[in-house]
Amino acid sequence: MTRVALRGIRAHVIQFLLSVLAVALGVAFVAGTFSLRTMMSSTFSGIVERSTVGDAYVRGSQEIDSVAQDGTGLGAARNTIPASLTTSIQGIEGVRYAFPTISGPLVLVGADGTAVASGTSPTFGIALDPSDPTVKVVNGRIPHGPNEIGLDSGAMTSSRLAVGDHTKVILGGKLRDVEVVAHLSLGAPMAGATIVYVDVPTAMAAFAADGKVTTIAVYAEDGVSQTALVRRLAPLLSTTAAATAEVVTGDTARAETAASIEDALGFMQTFMLIFAGISLFVAAFIISNTFSMSVRQRMREFALLRAVGASPPQVFASILIQATVVGLAGSALGLLAGIGLVSLLRIAFLRFGLDLSGSIPLDASTIITSLAVGTLVSAAAAVLPGRRAALTPPVQAMHDTVVTGGRSLRRRALGGALLMGAGAVAVISAMARPTPHGPTMLGAGAAALVVGVLVLAPVIVARTLTVLAAGFVAAVKPLGRLARGNVTRNPRRTANTAGALMIGMVLVGAASVLAASATASTRSIIANESTADFIVQSATHDVPDAAIRGIASLDSVAATDVARNGRAGVTRAGATASPDDTMSVVGLPAAAFGRSLNVRVLSGSFEALAHGAVAVQESTATDHAWSVGTQIRLTPQNATAPPVTATIGAIIDSKSLGAPVILPESLYAQVVAPAQSAANTVFVTAAPGTTAAVLRADLVSIAKPYVVLAVLDNDQFAAKLAEQVTSLLVILYALLGLSIIIAILGIVNTLALSVIERTREIGLMRAVGLGRLQLAGILTIESVLTALFGTIIGLTLGVAVAAALPTVFASAGLTLLAIPWTQLAGMLALAVAVGVLAALWPAMRAARLPVLEAITSE
Amino acid sequence: MTSPSTVAVEQPRRAGGTSKVTASARGLVKTYGAGGTAVHALGGVDVDFAHGELTAIMGPSGSGKSTLMHCMAGLDTVTAGRVLIEGEDVGAMNQRQLTRLRRTRLGFIFQAYNLIPTLTAAENITLPLDIARRPVDRAHFTAVVTALGLQDRLDHRPRELSGGQQQRVACARALVAKPAVIFADEPTGNLDSKASGELLAFLRRSVDELDQTVVMVTHDPRAATYAHRVLFLDDGHLVRELTSPTQAAVLEALGRLGATTAGDDPGTGRTPAARPDAQPTPEPIAVGAP
Repeated sequence: MTRVALRGIRAHVIQFLLSVLAVALGVAFVAGTFSLRTMMSSTFSGIVERSTVGDAYVRGSQEIDSVAQDGTGLGAARNTIPASLTTSIQGIEGVRYAFPTISGPLVLVGADGTAVASGTSPTFGIALDPSDPTVKVVNGRIPHGPNEIGLDSGAMTSSRLAVGDHTKVILGGKLRDVEVVAHLSLGAPMAGATIVYVDVPTAMAAFAADGKVTTIAVYAEDGVSQTALVRRLAPLLSTTAAATAEVVTGDTARAETAASIEDALGFMQTFMLIFAGISLFVAAFIISNTFSMSVRQRMREFALLRAVGASPPQVFASILIQATVVGLAGSALGLLAGIGLVSLLRIAFLRFGLDLSGSIPLDASTIITSLAVGTLVSAAAAVLPGRRAALTPPVQAMHDTVVTGGRSLRRRALGGALLMGAGAVAVISAMARPTPHGPTMLGAGAAALVVGVLVLAPVIVARTLTVLAAGFVAAVKPLGRLARGNVTRNPRRTANTAGALMIGMVLVGAASVLAASATASTRSIIANESTADFIVQSATHDVPDAAIRGIASLDSVAATDVARNGRAGVTRAGATASPDDTMSVVGLPAAAFGRSLNVRVLSGSFEALAHGAVAVQESTATDHAWSVGTQIRLTPQNATAPPVTATIGAIIDSKSLGAPVILPESLYAQVVAPAQSAANTVFVTAAPGTTAAVLRADLVSIAKPYVVLAVLDNDQFAAKLAEQVTSLLVILYALLGLSIIIAILGIVNTLALSVIERTREIGLMRAVGLGRLQLAGILTIESVLTALFGTIIGLTLGVAVAAALPTVFASAGLTLLAIPWTQLAGMLALAVAVGVLAALWPAMRAARLPVLEAITSE
Repeated sequence: MTSPSTVAVEQPRRAGGTSKVTASARGLVKTYGAGGTAVHALGGVDVDFAHGELTAIMGPSGSGKSTLMHCMAGLDTVTAGRVLIEGEDVGAMNQRQLTRLRRTRLGFIFQAYNLIPTLTAAENITLPLDIARRPVDRAHFTAVVTALGLQDRLDHRPRELSGGQQQRVACARALVAKPAVIFADEPTGNLDSKASGELLAFLRRSVDELDQTVVMVTHDPRAATYAHRVLFLDDGHLVRELTSPTQAAVLEALGRLGATTAGDDPGTGRTPAARPDAQPTPEPIAVGAP
């Protein structure tokens, strides 16, 4: 039976080729994901190894939340420790060097006058102590003084500066002129991050003005082990007045960092594997279809095998063997393709400044997983057709034509209807009653609907396609009618083929609606709530103080309202804050309300803010059972600052202010330290009589030197926020693209196999005068109908489910439902194009069938 | 009739009568393969098919009868010789011209699998006209359908029809387009005797009453009796012809064919007949009007 199975594959190679291709694509995605993760993991841990080479690290003992980014620390932020500790540490026996790690965000202006922004990798400035052993001078000398900087290799490349050049940096909120005096190297590429070295006093002034740093790196004398070093340092720390510092070995610090990298990569991997899973699911459809059709075609062969004594399990096994071979071949191909894919990705990442080092890893687990997954999916997909083949009655061998029992679709109709009903109920109830379980119910309901539609699809094929085909039937006689007959005569097959496309289209439809709604919601929120004339924001999310002062001093500016973001513990007065109580807080001048912002007040009033009261968002107030007049306690993240008590003066509902608690400026300054605060948005109101053009020109003149600032009016502001959504959407489309491609392959596959199946019929039609172009026309119409069917059902479902989102996620800022009709129409046009494309090869093959052979074929 | 390769066919010698020739072949040779594995399906056949006649082509398996029909219908290319349909050289036609030929001037009836399963009987009947975008002559359609007894079956799909009914639908399809010649390849091969008889009677009637020309390949001696003329092929050559045959005459001719080939020496090809009353040598058969 094995021989029969294997010979069978050889004889019908082309039939199985497309299945192999489908598996290959799905497995390529899986293999690529694993490979990419391994590569990123080794790159980042390599960086960690090379950049954190200390033997011990002294750091804060408590983990906190911080908005400000210091750039180097991966992993939980901790409370800061006094930099002065360094001197005491240096005095301990066994310590060779001790350097405080002083770093922070920095903007470097490159040779072309624009800020160096290498995509996703940040730029930061680091203090360089002259005796630091980890950094080598390649060219020049160590920076000294506030106007000298050194650049690492990556920074030199991306800024195109050379030693001796003069440029500007924005450091600690101030723009300053500097000279590049050194090309430094850490010994390895830093994944595209731009690192600028400054001397210690400059860094301290900019990043550690309060004398506090995050870590102190300690290097041991020769012969002193890490643990020994830790032991010697421990007594010093226990006597520190603040008692908030701890010491860990270098190994521990590196391991912790590596662990948090792995966590982040794990998320990315899971996310991508979901899409890989979708692709494989779609590939399974194709394989199932292929085997269904090939089994049907070879019914007489199986009947013959049964007639000569093969048992049903033997026949089943032969099908499964073929599926396994297809799976293995596809997986092997997919593995190679996955490597190729990752190579391409690496090149793409390089463009964005992320330099992934090392060779592309192909470890045993990737190979085994890819092969196993591909083979299992293939085998699973062939089970049902195999069962049908195994149960062929031997007498079928005597029949000239294949008798295909019209298996009742009633069970599918029932099952599909039930699932869809359950799904619809879940979605509607999630919409009707907003509960914390809303999102989960929505998700489960959506999944049930999708599966239900897939089950129900064959039942609705006939009616839906009759409607869809009406245009063709009327326009192109008799081709339209012939095509319609062909797609409706085997509803399961058409539904399976279209189902693959449907899955991708549901996600695409839902994503499009989500994006359009998010954009529309944002626009309307901004339009409703922002009354400022202009908004200034920074690409680094923190507008420098000097810039703010410059703006405020303009004549054309009547008022400048700065919204600052920070974090603090917020509890009822008298309660101690735990880490769970930490939330975002926004500091605004009290007068901003009404001047720059128009926010809905539910109870209380904004005048209260002028007197030191705070405003709280409605959802937060409800969660904590607070109301106007409640006393709350604000606990700063910096352990040394005392908590502050305040009264709630207003309950508001604002979507543009993302934070739950809004504090007046003076209160904010007491609660959030400048080092942990970011001036996110500056609202500018024009002086009376100033035109918008004049004001914009003035603002731009202040902002331009800072290079990273953007001056926006309300429309542009809304557009900028919408951009983020659009870029996410593009990524989603790219990930779904693969499953759509596989689905298209499925259509090609079905069409090609059906041409083989209908050889005699095609011969007959050619014999009575059907031209080759007309034959191609029939196949093209079939293909277009199938593609349209899958697309329309998928988009409809996706849009319907997404329409529920604003109701469920209204509190998250999704207030409006916008359906991007033009985009959806574009998808339909794409479906037609896809249909035409998919029919090209099968139509060519069919047209080339010699009429005589076709008529006389078996 | 404006094909660039139109050649006027010379009217061959006749015994009497002036029937028009609808289709003819001159020196038809068809060889498959080459060298040692060459199969000579047709070894030089000259034949005319007169208008308004039902001609049957018979012969043992491998005699080349199906090949002859395929070549006449333009379904297969010829190795040498010429095929003319209504004066036009089929061999010189390209794919598009051949398609048009099949659409408008030829009709086909096969042994089985004649109908498109997704179309109704009526749609199957008008299929060639629909493909050619020619209007259906409703009066003719009704006449044909009524003559074939298919009035009640027009809305049925092929799987709802019996074998005989399916063949009759195929017949109707061939007739409704009013082609120049209808080629039928073993049309009664899958039918029982009653259905066979009905179909054959109708084919003969269509020739007599509707002025059709029908060329039928068959191995059934009874089918041959419905024909005006029976041509016998053996080993790629036209060896004999009978007009207005009886079943007995057909059986005898077939038997003689079998005897002649029994003494063949595979290495040297045909040997002269062993029996005294067998045909001495094959020669071109001229048109014989009944």
